Amino acid sequence: MNDLWTDLGYVSINKKKEELCGDRVEIIKTDTASTLVLADGLGSGVKANILSTLTSKIICTMMAANMPIEECVDAVVKTLPVCSVRQVAYSTFTIIQIIENETAKIIQFDNPKVIMLRGGERYDYPVISRVIEGKTILESTIPLQLNDVFIAMSDGAIYAGVGKLMNFGWQRENILDFAEAFYDDSLSAKMIATLIVDECNRLYEGEPGDDTTVAAVRIRERKPVNLMIGPPADPADVNKMMTLFFSKEGKRIVCGGTTSTLAAEYLHETVRTSIDYNSDPAIPPIGFIKGVDLVTEGVITLSRVVEYARDYVNGTDLTAAWSNRKDGASRIAQMLFEYATDINFFVGKAINPAHQNPDLPITFGIKIQLVQELASCLEKMGKQIKVSYF
Amino acid sequence: MKISICVGSSCHLKGSYDIINLMKEHLEKNDLTDRVELSAAFCLGRCTSTGVTIQVDDEIITGVCPDNFESVFNQYVLGGKLG
Repeated sequence: MNDLWTDLGYVSINKKKEELCGDRVEIIKTDTASTLVLADGLGSGVKANILSTLTSKIICTMMAANMPIEECVDAVVKTLPVCSVRQVAYSTFTIIQIIENETAKIIQFDNPKVIMLRGGERYDYPVISRVIEGKTILESTIPLQLNDVFIAMSDGAIYAGVGKLMNFGWQRENILDFAEAFYDDSLSAKMIATLIVDECNRLYEGEPGDDTTVAAVRIRERKPVNLMIGPPADPADVNKMMTLFFSKEGKRIVCGGTTSTLAAEYLHETVRTSIDYNSDPAIPPIGFIKGVDLVTEGVITLSRVVEYARDYVNGTDLTAAWSNRKDGASRIAQMLFEYATDINFFVGKAINPAHQNPDLPITFGIKIQLVQELASCLEKMGKQIKVSYF
Repeated sequence: MKISICVGSSCHLKGSYDIINLMKEHLEKNDLTDRVELSAAFCLGRCTSTGVTIQVDDEIITGVCPDNFESVFNQYVLGGKLG
């Protein structure tokens, strides 16, 4: 394990008038490897969907279990149903496996060749070809560097624009130019895939002639973020909790009034609270402690972060209002959803006596549920999560 | 003079935002912005069922709401040690 981290993302659009996509992307993350398979089933619609689903599932599961590629291909060939029209049974596929964040293994069969960017520029990686079960398979093994990007696609991507805006479609060469032009260190894998698919859709004039899928893999630095909320159940544990929290590498977020006072005491600093409500009067202002990257109020702010996280995971919020706002909840969302790769939660289980007033308009016992829901959303975003209770 | 308005979870829900705006307004109207240091504070530890907690110098006042703001302002700010 090194300080690198694998970010994976993909986007598909369907051939016009088709309800099912014939392309399929499958991702499996294990402790030692991330495996992404992009399969493009022969034809379109139901048949293609079944072929690509079977192919990607079988390969992904077998590769993740460290089976050799020959056996995976063999299993796929023997399992896939034969198309009655074409008398063949196959789906093309691309496998990108990132092992220990150190080595990339790329295996390609009949899909457009994977594009690799190193430092934002095209990189010609070595390819060895061999024949397995009568199929020519391209294999590459590449030692990884920070910011390496791999882009896999189905052939719908390179046919974009055929007979419409372009005579011969969008060649792989054009996609390379496009990818180099928009490249930026901070773009997530999902964003890279989205930008290319959007461009394909534009070339297709919104009516794709084939299912079009782009999957991207990006190698980035690990960015740990630590978030502390609530004082410990036993006041004698304050020092222990603070020492653990402040000894962690990475950025620090402290949520809650009492908690930030305790953190400031531990650091021999003071909490300065902003009086500025920014754009959103529903979210309490943030505070400042020297040595802490972000200080916010507790449950109200975190409830909003959980809402943002839920929408992000469901893909229902395409505007992502939090991405450029400055209030506490938006700032936490930016740090956890975009910046962080590993997140450690430090949750104090103390019950705030000030909140035990039955006349208060909300219940404050929801702190722990909030953290649990947030943690599960962040896991779905592919982050490494650890929650410790005090 | 130093005034802190609580923006902790409980006070926030009971209208810290409005009280901050009222306070800013009143300080301006009375030409006091240069003589009063206005700030916010996380939980002052006096959460009550109604109103917001504020601190004027060393004194803590609870239950401040838009209805009684005028009299609180007159008593503690105008009647305080402003000299």
